[in-house]
Amino acid sequence: MDQFTITGNQRNVLFGFMGLGLLCMIITFFGDDMFHTRFWTNYLHNSVFFTGIALMSLFILSAFTTALAGWHTLIKRIWEAYSMFLIPGFILMAVVVIATVGHMHHLYHWTDASEVANDPVLNGKSGFLNLTWFSAGTIIIMGIWIFFAWKMRQLSLDEDKNGDASYGHHRKIRIYSAAFLPIAGFSSAAVIWLWIMSIDAHWYSTLFAWYTGASWFVAAMASTIVLIAYLKGKGYLQNVTQEHLHDLGKYLFAFSIFWTYLWFSQYMLIWYGNVGEETVYFQERQENYPVLFYGNLLLNFIAPFFVLMRNDTKRKYGTMVFASVVVFFGHWWDFFQMIKPGARLTAMHAMEHHGDEGAHHGAEHGAELAGHTEAAMHAMPFEMGFTIPGLLELGTMLGFLALFIYVILNQLSKAPLTPKNDPYLEESLHHHVELHGEEAH
Amino acid sequence: MSNQKKDILYGLYNDEEYLLKAVDHANAEGIEITEVFTPFPVHGLDPKLGFAESRLHITGFVYGMLGTLTAFLFMTWVFTRDWPIIFGGKPYFSAPAFIPITFELTVLFAAVGMVVTFYIICGLGPGVTIPTLDDRITDDKFCIAFDVTNAEASFTDKLKGFFSQTGAEEVNTKNI
Repeated sequence: MDQFTITGNQRNVLFGFMGLGLLCMIITFFGDDMFHTRFWTNYLHNSVFFTGIALMSLFILSAFTTALAGWHTLIKRIWEAYSMFLIPGFILMAVVVIATVGHMHHLYHWTDASEVANDPVLNGKSGFLNLTWFSAGTIIIMGIWIFFAWKMRQLSLDEDKNGDASYGHHRKIRIYSAAFLPIAGFSSAAVIWLWIMSIDAHWYSTLFAWYTGASWFVAAMASTIVLIAYLKGKGYLQNVTQEHLHDLGKYLFAFSIFWTYLWFSQYMLIWYGNVGEETVYFQERQENYPVLFYGNLLLNFIAPFFVLMRNDTKRKYGTMVFASVVVFFGHWWDFFQMIKPGARLTAMHAMEHHGDEGAHHGAEHGAELAGHTEAAMHAMPFEMGFTIPGLLELGTMLGFLALFIYVILNQLSKAPLTPKNDPYLEESLHHHVELHGEEAH
Repeated sequence: MSNQKKDILYGLYNDEEYLLKAVDHANAEGIEITEVFTPFPVHGLDPKLGFAESRLHITGFVYGMLGTLTAFLFMTWVFTRDWPIIFGGKPYFSAPAFIPITFELTVLFAAVGMVVTFYIICGLGPGVTIPTLDDRITDDKFCIAFDVTNAEASFTDKLKGFFSQTGAEEVNTKNI
């Protein structure tokens, strides 16, 4: 079976989960504070997470193509399909842009003009952290990504039909790939600063973009492994063997460690330097969100490190799917941890401000109110949706995941799963990594 | 390791594909191969020769953990018990500052430990000379060797027949 088709059952399940996600978002919206902070952080969180996975898949394909890698050819259609999620991702992020420009939420402190005027730090950053950069940057950068994704996908599909021994299609894909690598490197950093790091508007870290990008990368690998296991279980991708799984497992393992390396590098330098404007980020998370903070390391480092260290666990579908699910959830958790604490502080600050203005209380009362909010901020209640993902967050995530999978399966059904006429197809069919394993025939 | 010299009959192949086919052939005929020499690791050769998977990597894990514990516990002892010094206003027990050195020692212990273990297993060490059948087996030849000490002529002939059948480039005997 080389032509994937979506069954009615799959469609029903996926639409069911999308409905669940929508329902959770509606419930979140109506049970929310006046800025709908929980709703908008959930929306931003999932949009950024899944859009980033799509970007990283295109990055992975470009990197492999540029490096003249051949082993992945049998599964390149999966990453091509992933990269097509950039188009729905563009729509999701466009909603964030519209809501930011229209001041429909209060996620970003720097969107508040009166605050920026009185704040030397935000004022100094206003050359980059402004609505023009946010909207134009998001639209132009994502437009460029979509152009490359579309172009490479079209060339690859055309290669199936019109490819010949001169491998002209592959040569063209190689040029696009090489051009895309530096573009992806710089532009992903810029959007990460805009979309995520600017939530903690006063804070910055030069490692942040790498660390977030690594998170996307691992999530992309993990979801690929689960999808391949699923498709193989359905009888597709019969030529994809344990050898390919082993290599994917190495990527999952290595990039989990790479993520930890970046996470720790960022953490230790800030901890060691002990500069107040930098440590505030970790102080907030370590003191008020310990479950998020330490859970992040448990899910994304300890678990994959010990599960995937052995050679044989990377060759078994059971352990690989288990580790992938843990790590995928772990990186979703990581993004939750990046977004929620900062957005919560910003919203509380804004509400305090709003309360002062709206109620016309005396200065004394205002100070008292501020004191209350301060106390509420630093008490450590298990506030679902902020200190820990609640059921509504999980439901929203499942909805986005269903949308993501639906788009991918839809794209997979548009072309044969095994690419024809790719110069590296034979290499991929005979891929063999394990010294001790049986000779592949 | 014994000083007793052996008569070795060996054949040299030009390509690992011929070597793998020859090993299959020997297995099918029930001929027991004494040793195979290749200039680089050949995929799929180990299971054909019936070798169990190496356990060297398990020792690597153990050495690594030993390095982790050594570094972390030693630094903890030095900075909290033996000679507490305040660095940059940090507490005596500053786990994040210990991590880089813990990592380095983990790698060092695992690497050095595995090399030493490997040398001991192979009987290698300073001053040990290992006689080689043919210098080219470290370059571009693939070798199958049989111990033919005190073997009957019929058995040796059978092995020579096996070599010519499986396309060995050269067949030699050597007493080492």
